[in-house]
Amino acid sequence: MAADKAGAEQPFTISIPQAELDLLRQKLVLIRFPDEIEGAGWDYGVPLEDTRRLIAHWKDAFDWRAAEADINLLPMFTRDIAIEGFGTLNIHYIHKRSEIAKAIPLLFVHGWPGHFLEVRKLLPLLTAGSPDHPSFHVVAVSLPGFGFSETPKKPGFAGRQYAELVNKLMLSLGYDEYVYQGGDWGHAVGAHLATHFGHRNLKAWHSNMPLSDKPKLFSHPIAFIRNLFPHDKTTREGLQVTAEFLSKGCGYMTEQKTKPQTLGYSLADSPVGLLAWIYEKLVTWTDSYPWTDDEVLEWVSIYWFSRAGPAASIRIYYEMMGGGSKDRLSGTKWTSIPLGLSYFPREHWRLPKSWGATLGKVVMRSQHDKGGHFAAFEQPEALADDVRKMFAKGGPAYGVVAGKDGYA
Amino acid sequence: MAETTEKPFTLSVPDADIELLHKKLELARFPDELEGAGWDYGAPLADIKRLVAHWKQGFDWRKAEAEINKLPMFTRDIEVEGHGKLNIHYVHQKSEVKDAIPLLFVHGWPGDFLEVRKLLPLLTAKSSDNPSFHVVAISLPGFGFSEAPKKPGFAGRQYAEVLNNLMLSLGYNEYVYQGGDWGHIVGMHTVHHFGHKHIKAWHSNMPLSSRRPTLLTHPLILINTVFATTFDKSAREGIAKTLKFVQKGRGYFMEQATKPQTLGYSLEDSPVGLLAWIYEKLVGWTDSYPWTDDEVLEWISIYWFSRSGPAAAGRIYYEMTRGNSSEIFAGAQWSSVPLGVSYFPGELGRMPKSWSHLLGKLVFESEHDKGGHFAAFEQPEKLAGDLRKMYGKGGPAHGVVPGKNGYD
Repeated sequence: MAADKAGAEQPFTISIPQAELDLLRQKLVLIRFPDEIEGAGWDYGVPLEDTRRLIAHWKDAFDWRAAEADINLLPMFTRDIAIEGFGTLNIHYIHKRSEIAKAIPLLFVHGWPGHFLEVRKLLPLLTAGSPDHPSFHVVAVSLPGFGFSETPKKPGFAGRQYAELVNKLMLSLGYDEYVYQGGDWGHAVGAHLATHFGHRNLKAWHSNMPLSDKPKLFSHPIAFIRNLFPHDKTTREGLQVTAEFLSKGCGYMTEQKTKPQTLGYSLADSPVGLLAWIYEKLVTWTDSYPWTDDEVLEWVSIYWFSRAGPAASIRIYYEMMGGGSKDRLSGTKWTSIPLGLSYFPREHWRLPKSWGATLGKVVMRSQHDKGGHFAAFEQPEALADDVRKMFAKGGPAYGVVAGKDGYA
Repeated sequence: MAETTEKPFTLSVPDADIELLHKKLELARFPDELEGAGWDYGAPLADIKRLVAHWKQGFDWRKAEAEINKLPMFTRDIEVEGHGKLNIHYVHQKSEVKDAIPLLFVHGWPGDFLEVRKLLPLLTAKSSDNPSFHVVAISLPGFGFSEAPKKPGFAGRQYAEVLNNLMLSLGYNEYVYQGGDWGHIVGMHTVHHFGHKHIKAWHSNMPLSSRRPTLLTHPLILINTVFATTFDKSAREGIAKTLKFVQKGRGYFMEQATKPQTLGYSLEDSPVGLLAWIYEKLVGWTDSYPWTDDEVLEWISIYWFSRSGPAAAGRIYYEMTRGNSSEIFAGAQWSSVPLGVSYFPGELGRMPKSWSHLLGKLVFESEHDKGGHFAAFEQPEKLAGDLRKMYGKGGPAHGVVPGKNGYD
């Protein structure tokens, strides 16, 4: 295989040391559970009944080695990427090429508490060849500090650095021009990527979490004016949901953007603590997704066994939100590279559609009646469909990557 | 004599509980940390590792327990309407001065009943120069060795009832009150419900509320505020400090007010997680208090070995804000019961001093140049000194409790 030198791609298989599995098991056996208020349901957080059941399953039934073997069927790699001021980070990613030679290179970026496996169900759909829709070569990165990527060692790894890192990854794979799909932090990273490398390398992008600022009069006069008029019922309800999320659903975010280290001790040391912290989002942020215990535990295990540990992943909030004093889109600019937006009904950010215009040149809006925050995982066909439509022959972003229109 | 459920209380943590703690400490898994992080991201790794090492080998819980057991502690059942009987733990130390003033001391979060410890000898001492007090220090429901409420909705009125009923059950029909943190907040509620009739005066070392002077309601205070913030450097600094706390210090509050159960799994299961969660406040909220490792670990142990477990304590935030949908002071109106306040420079935030008049009928103010949020623990002489001045001969609240003016 490739020579052992910095920067060279290495094939990657997950092989969690047995000692790690043993430690987890020892901890699971010693779990101390809290009490619970009578009739609490989901009001105070994750119900005790759910947690007890999941821990019992984790201890006695969930087969990590089987899950690991399955994940290892995916084409995974690592390589060193140099980031100005931060040295090199060894980055983990999936790279699956389509059989269609002129497939469009697409970078998929997850968020928190997501990870690279969110691309799993999309892979066969996006890479499949067909005369009816475009195909893609798909790269799904583990953001630094997530999955099996190294984590930055110094403070200050923020928007510009994430953009640089993912762009360099694509360049190192020979993709000088490419497109992008993301939600959650993938959405914010996309905005920073468009700002720094739009046109030059990033030719178009798509987001399933259209979070943006309100339109301002001089920058987006039409959207601004539209926003002055009373919103329709759906929009009003959406704003209410967003307000509810901000007042009742942002505890995790407030702690993670201000004291990630303090919280990190719990997430690193307690499997039940980590499980509850993530599971709460897996349920409340999805549209009645029928989670199996195995799916939940595989998801949480990625965090438990992650290369940098679960505490590293939450630092993205601190770095991107300035320790609580700025917002995640700070430093991003509107760009004219084509932008597609997908609206899923159970996303928790439900802002007026006119606000999307402040993110970039919106060329496609797609509204769905099912699906939530983890769209790629919950509604892979719908999301793949949106991405295909955007780049299809006759679509609003057809042919953005020179010589790679996605067809044979 | 009416039948009483009062029983003397001796703290005696089962051996099995201590063994479990040590087993967990042996399996502790630590997160990484950014270079040069200091306290920016939360509790530093070096501190937590050192404390865990000391907890494993060095800290002697049985010795600490024996010391605590020298305090006169009791439990008794207290009835709260709609919540049945709660078995409540408290310290009750009488002064040798027969007509000492009955005083109820109420802690907050992450505090506990032991915050009264250094005050006890000062307040109960007999002296011709100072008034003496009979001191009752309660463990709030869900804290220390008091039972936790089992049903939802245990809020302002309920806390007021349990506190007042405790004092009445001890034969103190009329008494005074001292508190900070939740002790201050439930103080507002208790004074609202039982002021004048039972509570004759009260003192707070955290004189904060969300009340604001407006032109219509408090024109003089408003004008005073404008002057203070324009010309008074100390007032401006106080407000800046408050804003900083709001921006960077409220993660714990938001999570506990919205998802205490989710967080609770971590705090219940991981001694390291619990240690970090509380230690961050012990250092961040004090005025350079020279914590010894033993002091910290004793403090954390009270939470770890608490009767209802550490997760239960955080629920006070949820109940008092109704899941962050209402205001913690809602329902507690201004009262003309005499109020004394002490300003300590390390407190979480500071509003202009004139705003203390919004809390109650201000009869005593005292400003210090040293001390923080845990005033009773950090500066017991100063706090005791303030209470002595307030209630002593010639003081503004002297003789508020008929027949018990604190002197023989």
